[in-house]
Amino acid sequence: MSALELREVTKRYVGHLAVDRLSLAVPPGTIYGILGPNGAGKSTTLRMTMNIIARDSGSIAVLGTDPAIDGTVLRRVGYLPEERGLYKKMTALDVIVFFGELRGMPHGRAREEGVRWLEKMGLADWQRARVDTLSKGMQQKVQFITTVVHGPELLILDEPGSGLDPVNQEVLRDTIVSARDQGRTVVFSTHNMDQAEQLCDFVCIIANGQKVLDGRLADIKRSHAGHKYRIEFETINPGVLAMMDSGTIPGARRLADAWEVELGSPADVGRALATLSANGAGLANFQHVKPSLHQIFVERVGRAQVAERRPEVERA
Amino acid sequence: MHDAILIVRREFRERVASRSFLIGTVIFPLIMIGLILLPKLVGSGGTERTIIVINDGPAGVGAAFAAALGATPTSADENTYDVKVVPGAYTAVRESLNSQVERKEIDGYVVLPAEVLTSGTIMFRARNVGSFAVMRDLRSAGTRAVQSERLKTAGISAQAVAALIAPVNVDEAKITSRGEERGGALSTFLAAYVVAFLIYVMTTLYGVAVMRSVLEEKTNRIAEVLMSTIRASHLVFGKIIGVGSAAVTQVIIWAAILTLFVTQSHRLGDRFALPDSIMQALRVEPLTGVLLFLFFLLGFFLYASVFATVGASVTSEQEAQSVQFIALLPLISPLLFLESILNAPLGRTATTLGLIPFTAPIAMPMRMASSPVPPIEIAVSLVLLACAIAVVAWIAGKIYRVGILSTGKRPTLAELGRWVVRSS
Repeated sequence: MSALELREVTKRYVGHLAVDRLSLAVPPGTIYGILGPNGAGKSTTLRMTMNIIARDSGSIAVLGTDPAIDGTVLRRVGYLPEERGLYKKMTALDVIVFFGELRGMPHGRAREEGVRWLEKMGLADWQRARVDTLSKGMQQKVQFITTVVHGPELLILDEPGSGLDPVNQEVLRDTIVSARDQGRTVVFSTHNMDQAEQLCDFVCIIANGQKVLDGRLADIKRSHAGHKYRIEFETINPGVLAMMDSGTIPGARRLADAWEVELGSPADVGRALATLSANGAGLANFQHVKPSLHQIFVERVGRAQVAERRPEVERA
Repeated sequence: MHDAILIVRREFRERVASRSFLIGTVIFPLIMIGLILLPKLVGSGGTERTIIVINDGPAGVGAAFAAALGATPTSADENTYDVKVVPGAYTAVRESLNSQVERKEIDGYVVLPAEVLTSGTIMFRARNVGSFAVMRDLRSAGTRAVQSERLKTAGISAQAVAALIAPVNVDEAKITSRGEERGGALSTFLAAYVVAFLIYVMTTLYGVAVMRSVLEEKTNRIAEVLMSTIRASHLVFGKIIGVGSAAVTQVIIWAAILTLFVTQSHRLGDRFALPDSIMQALRVEPLTGVLLFLFFLLGFFLYASVFATVGASVTSEQEAQSVQFIALLPLISPLLFLESILNAPLGRTATTLGLIPFTAPIAMPMRMASSPVPPIEIAVSLVLLACAIAVVAWIAGKIYRVGILSTGKRPTLAELGRWVVRSS
């Protein structure tokens, strides 16, 4: 069973189709990135998942249950909205305990967990501080704790990295990875491809409300890989150098500290390696050059495909 | 329901822990008590005035007038007069008296003209003729002096005259189902006004608190997280009950202070020489108290539902303020009809305002304070109020669910209508 499954989900606002027959399945225990330019429909998709806005058609299963039918399943989910906010007059710990209890935790355990998380996030000394006295970064951390304090099986984070400084980006990344390692599922949206590339097991790229591609990140990268290989020599003799320069190895090109070659098939790869070693070349590194997620994204979505955010006006 | 209780608890704590709650709870009774005691403490009751009397009329009138005006007053609230009768005709002493007034040696002088018995007019010349109390005292003393002289001229003995013109007091009491109740017009007015004003202030204060709280959750998007966890109706309900219980807590504290004040009233009354009427005004029958409380509570629920809707449909505090005034108009309107309601508590205006749910929370307590209102009217008024709450809360729930999640521009009335019809 998928931790989260969308089938043919559609949401139409006045004037535009925000999400168009979107289907995706998030395997449990993975980190799943929903990627897309601004206005692609990422937030709308996540908000429909959380039953905050109603979908027009299609089906959604969160941990096997349609949240529109049984909303209680959402207590097992931790949701971080795109725009952040907390009760400003409550203390950090009280806010965390409140949200923990709201998801069904007993008061005592919510406190324990809250204290543990605050310590983990380096905010142990700020438990009793009112939220409006905390720095913006601290508030973000507190809000993140309110999202995870009840130990949700599924985390849904809308642009979790936005507004975080590099240090806190790191903290966030560690937390997401350790959540996955504990068997939880993490779904997050982002337009930051580097962040996604570092974290995701699976990705789904959407643009203009439609799915462009989805799947295991490694598979996607492999399938988008071309015929380029990177070679670094430990030792190189004149004979080998001549072979590289003369084109005996196809498409060879000298880079700053390595070579790049083009080999069409696995057989070509074998032949090239055999030739090189037969001629006494010492290989330090031989690597299939895979495109970055950013390159795949640009290639598939196109640079011009960046839609502006449009007003979310419900149809009458 | 567990989640609604959490909301209640959070709202209640946030209100009660706020500085304004503490200040309101402590300062308000202090101000009220202060307003009652202050005049006594600074002794701003009666003042003494020096008045000179010139008698051009019959010989006895001057002395009688001076005696009546100079008599020791019955209450410390009234003015005392140092009266001196000066011989000589007005025309002869006028200049010197005027200069005495100017030099502030005397406050003024009274001339009893030669034809005072027939004209019934006396003259008063002073630096300041604006005091109603002084005018009343002069009129009263003049009337007594002139009447007694007229009676003597008619051949009635001085002794008989004194008996004949002895002043009359009015012993007032209100007829209610429990028989006669003391407490004069002042106490009725005071009670009605204080009760109406309190209900108005509390409803406004705490209704607006509900609105702010909704708006806070809307603008900082806590609503998104809440909505994905608990039902919109539970959230609104919890919020109103939570803020409401803070209001009730405050009222209970005030009631406790009031009870203490009233039970100790004889002690305080003696100490500060408070008139009975004030103490009477503060004394509330238990049943009346419960009914007043009920009107306050239901009024709060009604307006809190309205304010919750306002909070969910606007997008900023500024917008909220303009809409909030319109929402409060019906609550204010009974205060505009205060005179009319107190003059005729059973009249048409008072009855109508007492039945309309949006004005009843103020109008009904005002009526009840000034006259016994037929129990059936109270019952009908409460039932109508409860029905109105049900309808408004239903509409509020519909608008709330959609409104709190929509941001950007303020919805038009037509859009609000669609939210009510469409949302499930």
